Amino acid sequence: MSNTKKWFSLNLGNKKKEQSSSCGCGSTTGGCNSNNASAAIGEEKHKDGFDQVFDVKMDRRTAFKQLTASLMIGAGAVSTSCSVTSGDESKEKAQIDWEEQFKGNYKLMTDDEKKATVERLSRSYQLRTGKTVDISSRNAEEDVLFGYAFNISKCQGSMDCVNACVEENNQDRNSQMQYIRIHEMMDGQGFKFNEADDNYYHEVPAEGHFYMGTQCFHCDNPPCTKVCPVQATWQEEDGLVVIDYDWCIGCRYCMAACPYDGRRFNWTEPEIKEEKINKNQHYLGNRPRKKGVMEKCTFCVQRSREGQNPACVDACPTGARTFGNLLDPDSTIRWVLENKKVFRLKEELGTEPKFWYYMD
Amino acid sequence: MINKFNSFILLGCILCITLSCQRHEEKYHNITDKINALSKAYEGTSISSEAYIHVPTIEITEGAETFLIPERKGQITSYACTECHTQPLKEMQSSSSSKKAHWDIKINHANQNTMECITCHNSSDMDNLKSLTGKSIDFNRSYQLCSQCHSGQFKDWKGGAHGKSAGGWSSPRAALTCVNCHNPHKPHIAPRWPVRYNTQKIKERD
Repeated sequence: MSNTKKWFSLNLGNKKKEQSSSCGCGSTTGGCNSNNASAAIGEEKHKDGFDQVFDVKMDRRTAFKQLTASLMIGAGAVSTSCSVTSGDESKEKAQIDWEEQFKGNYKLMTDDEKKATVERLSRSYQLRTGKTVDISSRNAEEDVLFGYAFNISKCQGSMDCVNACVEENNQDRNSQMQYIRIHEMMDGQGFKFNEADDNYYHEVPAEGHFYMGTQCFHCDNPPCTKVCPVQATWQEEDGLVVIDYDWCIGCRYCMAACPYDGRRFNWTEPEIKEEKINKNQHYLGNRPRKKGVMEKCTFCVQRSREGQNPACVDACPTGARTFGNLLDPDSTIRWVLENKKVFRLKEELGTEPKFWYYMD
Repeated sequence: MINKFNSFILLGCILCITLSCQRHEEKYHNITDKINALSKAYEGTSISSEAYIHVPTIEITEGAETFLIPERKGQITSYACTECHTQPLKEMQSSSSSKKAHWDIKINHANQNTMECITCHNSSDMDNLKSLTGKSIDFNRSYQLCSQCHSGQFKDWKGGAHGKSAGGWSSPRAALTCVNCHNPHKPHIAPRWPVRYNTQKIKERD
């Protein structure tokens, strides 16, 4: 403790590594401890896997919580793996559960770790249901920035996009959760979301009305990712705002932060009939979710990273939806942005959505 | 002494500005700047959308745009027309007692002052379409016929703002052509019912 200072000095630029010495109180409990814990969250960039969970400074309460949760899993795993009576499959399942419990945040995983986790997830699905799923962990491609354009004069409100989205992205059928909303609005009134109807059922297009769709806009300056206390949601290199469903704690801060109502919460365990499940999945996309986690449109990451259009684009019967690479000067999305009079929703908020509206 | 002091202030100012600029992690002020800056060095991606084109296509070049559109002749049920139209139209029409061909086609495209069958079809060359000035247009390139009047839609379609993609977002670009969505004899798209109704939402609202 020889370098403990008795006076206060500004620490400009030259960041000292020793965190404890900058703390003046000298005590190891109370406020200083919680400071240390939060600093440790910033440091975890360099840690992964087990280290993320074990190698952080935490207060006693968090430590006990972690330990209890892990012990529950551990006890289950140990009892199955050591048991003579349980079969190989249940031992393997316990092993998978154990490794999944202690895996790191997907954002910080190396490619090998990503591959390992999707393998575990698809193996675990196979053990549980006997069916195989194809979960991808494909990373963002270089020189790709996804963008979307929506033609308000073309949309006729048939909602084919909504159906296609639900089927593609394995959304809970019971609660009728949907990423896309189609708003029926009065001609000549402009965007009035409080007066719009987003659950109409009559012949469309209705006289004197126009239709516009909203979903996650994959903002370039997303407010939702900044409020996440556990960094379970972030923006990928290709502009997609994604969620690690296994890291999400379900606090719904992001839902509150989104000015576009783009995020959805699983209030119950999502239920989809086995034969209706889309088996072509991505870790960050349409793989099955749990109760109590957030989800939202990912521009169908499992499709778009393979070169395919999102399901809504392919399903639209009027061609109101255009999707493409914003960095490709010859792409159709770029033509729309450069030749049509485009605008975005709540542009003044500075969220920089990558979702433009235009009219013929 | 004052000079030294001033230079200190100046140095401080510069330091402050540089530091405060560095604190912003975002390199660009807005998405347009970002797109412009990043697309300068764009050299294409390794992602191809070739696998998602499910129909036979032909390549067309219109202005600055080159892309694929679905091949049409192979999709028309009874092409080539001359397989039936062996005689001139006048002679085929005369046998009024026999079954009429094309009985199901009713033209509802513009008004009758503007358009009739022979505005687009050529009675002396049934296997091809004809332009307003009587030039021959291939059935595969029927968009050339439509674009004579619908020039605005044609411009948007070429660019990608009108119509539907027939493949994926990456190259090769494939687009549906006019007649893949619009029936040329009745081009207006009929009203329909939405494909879903959220009963759960109604319950939650009550």
